[in-house]
Amino acid sequence: MRAYELIKETFLRRTFIWIAHLSWLALYGLFWWLFLPDAEQFGGFLFLFSGFFLPLALSAGIFGDDIASGRICILVTKPFWSGQLYIYRFLGLSLQGALHIALTGVLAFALQAFMRKGSVEGLGMWLVASWLLFNTCAALSTSLSVVVGRSFNSLLLLVVIVTGWFVTNLLMGFLNAETMTGALTNFIRYACPPFELLRKFAGGEYEKFSLTVGRFSVTKSLACVVHCLMLTTAYGIAGIVILCRREFSRVRD
Amino acid sequence: MENDDRRMTKKTKLCAAIATAALALEGWALLVVSVSPARWRPTMIARDEPAARAIYETMIEKLQKAERLSYMSSCSGPDARASFHNVRLEKPDRLYLDAVNGMSSKTTTAIGDGNNIWIYFSGDRPFVRTIDDDESHERTISEVYVRQATTGERNSAAADMDLLGRAWYGLILDPEIFHGRTDPLEPYIDGIRYRGRNKVGSEMCDVIEITYMNAHRARHFWISTQDHLPRRIKEIIRLAENHVTVEEWMKPDTDPEIPPRTFTWSPPEGWRQWTPPSPERFLLPAGSQAPDFELRSAGSGTISLSAYRGKVVWLHVWQAGSLHGREQMRHLQSLHDKHRDKGLAILGFNCVDDRRIAQTFLRDNAVTFPTVLDATEAAQRVVSVGLASRTLSEPLTCIINRDGKVVDAWYGSEKSKRRGAAAFKDAGLQVETE
Repeated sequence: MRAYELIKETFLRRTFIWIAHLSWLALYGLFWWLFLPDAEQFGGFLFLFSGFFLPLALSAGIFGDDIASGRICILVTKPFWSGQLYIYRFLGLSLQGALHIALTGVLAFALQAFMRKGSVEGLGMWLVASWLLFNTCAALSTSLSVVVGRSFNSLLLLVVIVTGWFVTNLLMGFLNAETMTGALTNFIRYACPPFELLRKFAGGEYEKFSLTVGRFSVTKSLACVVHCLMLTTAYGIAGIVILCRREFSRVRD
Repeated sequence: MENDDRRMTKKTKLCAAIATAALALEGWALLVVSVSPARWRPTMIARDEPAARAIYETMIEKLQKAERLSYMSSCSGPDARASFHNVRLEKPDRLYLDAVNGMSSKTTTAIGDGNNIWIYFSGDRPFVRTIDDDESHERTISEVYVRQATTGERNSAAADMDLLGRAWYGLILDPEIFHGRTDPLEPYIDGIRYRGRNKVGSEMCDVIEITYMNAHRARHFWISTQDHLPRRIKEIIRLAENHVTVEEWMKPDTDPEIPPRTFTWSPPEGWRQWTPPSPERFLLPAGSQAPDFELRSAGSGTISLSAYRGKVVWLHVWQAGSLHGREQMRHLQSLHDKHRDKGLAILGFNCVDDRRIAQTFLRDNAVTFPTVLDATEAAQRVVSVGLASRTLSEPLTCIINRDGKVVDAWYGSEKSKRRGAAAFKDAGLQVETE
């Protein structure tokens, strides 16, 4: 019952959440309808919006709002472990993401069946990849919300990731020392949200100058999923540890 | 109190077990996802899949059955440079090819009119490092053409043009497959496998991967599902570093309107015929001291040339991707088996290949004579500076006498038996090279 209440609370936390869901779904429908894309184009679009932007929108201030209003003190003094509060809120987010992505899939399949144009071949993999990325970004943003005030966690994450992407690309262009770029690439690839890995997991590796070609094997796909779930867990554990150790004030910001 | 402690210990143990399992699982996942395609592995060798081979053969058949073919192609590498080619072909043996680097206006053109292949340059002829020096280039810089009779065993026009036109990137797929030529790499195919579907521009393509010579080379073909012609071809050559080239086909047409004058050309008045000189003229001349070296061997330890003083040395600079390399290696191995006790030392030298590929090559060809396997700059300098070779991609033979002096040096493997026998005679060694 407690779990149900906490998950439901995440769904109904803000009116903005429903607006985000509905406008996002309308956007996908419009994109499909106007551009008649194939699964890869639509998948890429979905991956970016549902996998990255949606968790940022849904998790804005997920703890920061309660911390700012002082409500967090009531929540953490209830007779349960503070970590549970984190877990159920995260589960609430993850469920929202799953529901949203499933609805997107239904929408795409329905439009394709109705219009008989475009292609949905391989779309399933993009939906799974989007949900996995959603979870990783949601966990990172939720953990950030424990330490960053109000709703600035999402904004901060957005700025950091976008700036990081630009700076890294710029550095890669200038740095010739292979060991340095190698270490940086490995850090970005395996310790940060796995954009590149999941994109290849869903769409395969067909870049112009890459050394391999084709879709991931079953083993590699499985390893990719395991790595994403582990990364999500690691981000989540970091958030739980911080939440359990922090002392909160009843005074409003 | 004791119960609480016991429960705590149990909980801690459970947490530790879960954490260990999770770490092990993540370790496995990282191991699998981080496998680098940059390093050669035996699993890279493709196994033949009939469906993938059928796609490849349909493409070749489509090229060979067409009466006319035209396309434009851009060939590029990861360094962001691109060469552009314009290809027009007509049965039975007429061809038009031109190549231009980037935004340059200077083209190199090859025209096959059925009797001759004419190659000419707009503007000044480019400097070709392997065959030119300043003086010879200056003498033949403008108003020259190359003429080759179409009869006999001639090189592919595309290969000649790449050399003479100094294209940054040449064509990967020989366009003369259209005229019935066999792709020179075809006998060395390991297998062809299917790699899914992918779009190039708006064209949906089947993607196949072909590996050659134990995956020393790989080609990825994007073949249109509509017209069965390639849209993108990627070639990976696995040397000490990987070399990637991509050729993209634009506007391929199997029934284009090609004016007959496209395939005719005659030299304007005042132009001179130019025969490209042999790159061998730059090699160390007979009587020069061969460069000494001490470099890493194929097995353990090092090899130094001075250790062979007192023997006649057949120094063979090779690479695993050389098309005639296998026959040459068999020939050298038989010389080694027959004459190693008669004062002859066969010494292999590889300074370009990935070490594991080169070792696989030596094992597959049962090579037992000593071989340098070292892709360091020092090893490459032995060839480029010590032996004065202007190319590392051609097999090079150098016969060195008992005093460590060069007797003869040449490129290629087809003339080795005849020329080798003469060089042995000059070095005072009485052995048969047949």
